[in-house]
Amino acid sequence: RIMPVRWSRYNPSYLEPEVKKESLQKPLEELTEEEREQMELKAVRPIKAAPPSLSSSVFSDPMISKFTNMMMKSGNKVLARSLMSQTLEAIKRKQLEKYHKAPESEKETIECNPYVIFHQALKNCQPIIGLSNITRGGKTYQVPVPLTDNRKRFLAMKWLITECRENKHRRTLMPEKLSQELLLAFNNEGPVIKRKHILHKMAEANRAYAHFRWW
Amino acid sequence: AVGRVLRLCRRWGAGPCAQTLRLICTTTAVQKRNVGASGPEKYTEAFIKKQIEEFNLGKRHLANMMGEDPETFTQEDIDRAIAYLFPSGLFDKQARPLMKHPTEVFPEQRKIQWGEDGRPFHFLFYTGKQSYYSLMHETYEKFLNVQKHQDQLTAQDLPLQKEKRNLAGSRWLTKIELEEMLLEKVSDDDYSRFIQLLQKLVALPCADIEEKYIQKFSKEVPVQLQKVVIEPLQHDERGVAFSTGEGKRKTARATAIVYDNGTGKITVNGIDILHYFPVLQDREQLLFPFQFLGRIGKHDMVCTVSGGGRSAQAGAIRLASAKALRSFVTEKEVEFMRQAGLLTVDPRVKERKKPGQEGPRRKFTWKKR
Repeated sequence: RIMPVRWSRYNPSYLEPEVKKESLQKPLEELTEEEREQMELKAVRPIKAAPPSLSSSVFSDPMISKFTNMMMKSGNKVLARSLMSQTLEAIKRKQLEKYHKAPESEKETIECNPYVIFHQALKNCQPIIGLSNITRGGKTYQVPVPLTDNRKRFLAMKWLITECRENKHRRTLMPEKLSQELLLAFNNEGPVIKRKHILHKMAEANRAYAHFRWW
Repeated sequence: AVGRVLRLCRRWGAGPCAQTLRLICTTTAVQKRNVGASGPEKYTEAFIKKQIEEFNLGKRHLANMMGEDPETFTQEDIDRAIAYLFPSGLFDKQARPLMKHPTEVFPEQRKIQWGEDGRPFHFLFYTGKQSYYSLMHETYEKFLNVQKHQDQLTAQDLPLQKEKRNLAGSRWLTKIELEEMLLEKVSDDDYSRFIQLLQKLVALPCADIEEKYIQKFSKEVPVQLQKVVIEPLQHDERGVAFSTGEGKRKTARATAIVYDNGTGKITVNGIDILHYFPVLQDREQLLFPFQFLGRIGKHDMVCTVSGGGRSAQAGAIRLASAKALRSFVTEKEVEFMRQAGLLTVDPRVKERKKPGQEGPRRKFTWKKR
């Protein structure tokens, strides 16, 4: 009996749920054409159930949940989530220390919100262009290729996590390592940013093969 | 001769058709193999006619046996009579005794496509997919027609009709339905090309001319399923309004009673949620419906839950509380809750382990020797 590999228990006509209260309660005039069509479609089609990691509270952030899932090992979400919250706490502590030690003039430039730091650090780590292996005439070339948004975010998160897991001293705990990495990335320093720059340089070096790409 | 009263019918439920990798969702439709599109004709017209006569005769005899009126003996009565006369404990419903009209038992099959001299009737026979290509030709003809009409209107400087067809209430035929209509196999690529052509046709402003033709290939989606009846609020002895709801997730089943004029206390199986759900994520899920409606401190909740694991129980209580809150809230807010995914039962369950594999997806370690 052949079962299809990529399948879901939901009928394909089910749409994704929209959890944010504000987007649901927008008045009609502000919506563009597409949004109006989307709304009409939503009124008719059934909608999937919201997953347990999604909630409408202010504390749930899709990027943070994605990062937590990537950090998770063997389905231990409890541990991953506690590590994440300890990381954010560590970031806040370090920034507050800096804030209290800094002179008056610099106090405004120091960012204390760990969520803002996290998002900015991720953005700084995202590569713009990637390399992909294309085989022509027996030889495999590394061809520079544009990346989608999802792929960029995935690469940034993956680099951060692998960097923390492998290149640090064995005894340091994950929240400490992660907070250090995130603060460095926020200031555009650190090994992850270096890795991003190396990738960009390789892409620039292999510029000659760019015409191999057919998509 | 008394016609044969029953037919033991067995459809081979084995395996959906090939092209599996594109199929994202399984439905029961996939399991029925499309017998009409496979193989040459096995039943002649005379045979089918004879079966229909025997069926009608048998129906009248059956009605006589059961002591009912042969003129008004419907299919439901036949099913009940057969289940009464031939009780069967077999597990597979398709293996039990069955008496249905021959057109349902012997599926529609294509008649022989060529005459006595061997010459095919249809001009596209030698393409191999004659019905598909003739359908594409027809649709394209309609497309050109609409374009011509449009050109005529622009030549006369008349305004083009711009009433947008409401796409939200209808869907195109699925590939399986198209196969049943054409009585021949349609590949994924062909099907997607056909749907693209139909979409192009519908996108033209003057497509109203060909409405009838388009309606043959579109089906009405039952608007918003059935309207769910929202129960009114009940009042207990102290005069406090409350309402109940039930929810489930994986193997967990929960019932929730939401009281009005409360302080936001939530009790699960007699235990406070702080002790029952030590994990923050579960408590967030419990509070999700209340936070979404902005009613966190206003309701009290008492729930009972059994089965499942920690996350499944939390999901079940979330569904139960959302259903209970429907009675307290306006219809618009119920619609908002539905669009946030709070009122749908999560159908995801643990996937079964398959034979020849270690788990649902994991295969055994491959050893070279």
